[in-house]
Amino acid sequence: MAEVFVNMGQISSAKQSGILTTVGLGSCIGVTLHDDKAKVGVMGHIFLPRSRPNDPDAPPGKYADTGIPAMIDEALRLGASKSRLQAKLAGGANLFPNLNLHSASIGQQNIEAVTALLKQHGVPIVGQDVAGNHGRKMRFFVETGVVTVTAIGKDPVQI
Amino acid sequence: MPNMKLDFLKELANIGTGHATTALSQMLNGRLFQLVVPDAQMLPFTEAATYMGGLEQVVVGIFVVISGDAKGYMACVHPLESALVLVRLLTGEDKEEIDELGRSALQEMGNIMVTSFLNALAQMTDLLLVPSVPGLAVDMAGAVWESILAGAEVTHEVTVIRTRFSTEGESIEGHIIFLPDEEAFAKIALQLGLEEL
Repeated sequence: MAEVFVNMGQISSAKQSGILTTVGLGSCIGVTLHDDKAKVGVMGHIFLPRSRPNDPDAPPGKYADTGIPAMIDEALRLGASKSRLQAKLAGGANLFPNLNLHSASIGQQNIEAVTALLKQHGVPIVGQDVAGNHGRKMRFFVETGVVTVTAIGKDPVQI
Repeated sequence: MPNMKLDFLKELANIGTGHATTALSQMLNGRLFQLVVPDAQMLPFTEAATYMGGLEQVVVGIFVVISGDAKGYMACVHPLESALVLVRLLTGEDKEEIDELGRSALQEMGNIMVTSFLNALAQMTDLLLVPSVPGLAVDMAGAVWESILAGAEVTHEVTVIRTRFSTEGESIEGHIIFLPDEEAFAKIALQLGLEEL
């Protein structure tokens, strides 16, 4: 089965079958959209919650506010129905908890932004493995919608 | 003037890294550290994501916030094998993983390296540069690296200095990443009389 690797800031999709994988989610958040009937899957690897005016050429998948609508558009383009879309999330960790860089960690901000945007678009979140202080790898099996999350020194999780 | 900016950053990095390595040698009781001339690159954001290579490889990342007259971030990233060599040299204990003692030794090392890097820069610029207590993560390279980029809110490009040093035949690899924010960069350039940057 074809496996496509989704890098930071990218959005990738597949229809019928295939695996969409993203490796090394830290504070970033991996988001999958799945339409089980149309067998459509889209994965994004979102870096920060909000787009910046000084970064107009950024790929839409870099920021949650541009990435979530772009992912939904991509799913619809491949024949998904918006009402059937279901989302899963992984990541949003804080690897340097003692630094207190921001009042809420970037990871937490990403989780909140993605959750709010999905809600706004009426897409339910049916599984998630988020927050904590460790990195994650996320694999999305497009045919079934199954998502597995692995981390160093931890048992794999299926969401 | 991206080339001038890169040359300037490379020069800062060379000086800072030289000081940092000297400090490390002293920490290791004067054992000679040979520093291979570091290679500096300015990477666009899209390439930065994959720069670290094996995204699932375990690395040790040390991350420091700089405050004072100029703001920014610094990080050191070592492959696990190199970090274990450093822990052995620092503590005399040969371990297969990074335990609590190893963590605090690496944190202390990161502290000393970053402080000496910043001291070199402070002497050149007369700016007060204050490092935070270092944060330390042992995790997948991809996760450590993107957390550093996100923590520093890097959205355009990042300057990365790859260093390799050795002592008594043991090679230690690492990346030193210096991320001044735009305002800090302009301040440093101005202090050094490079207004045109």
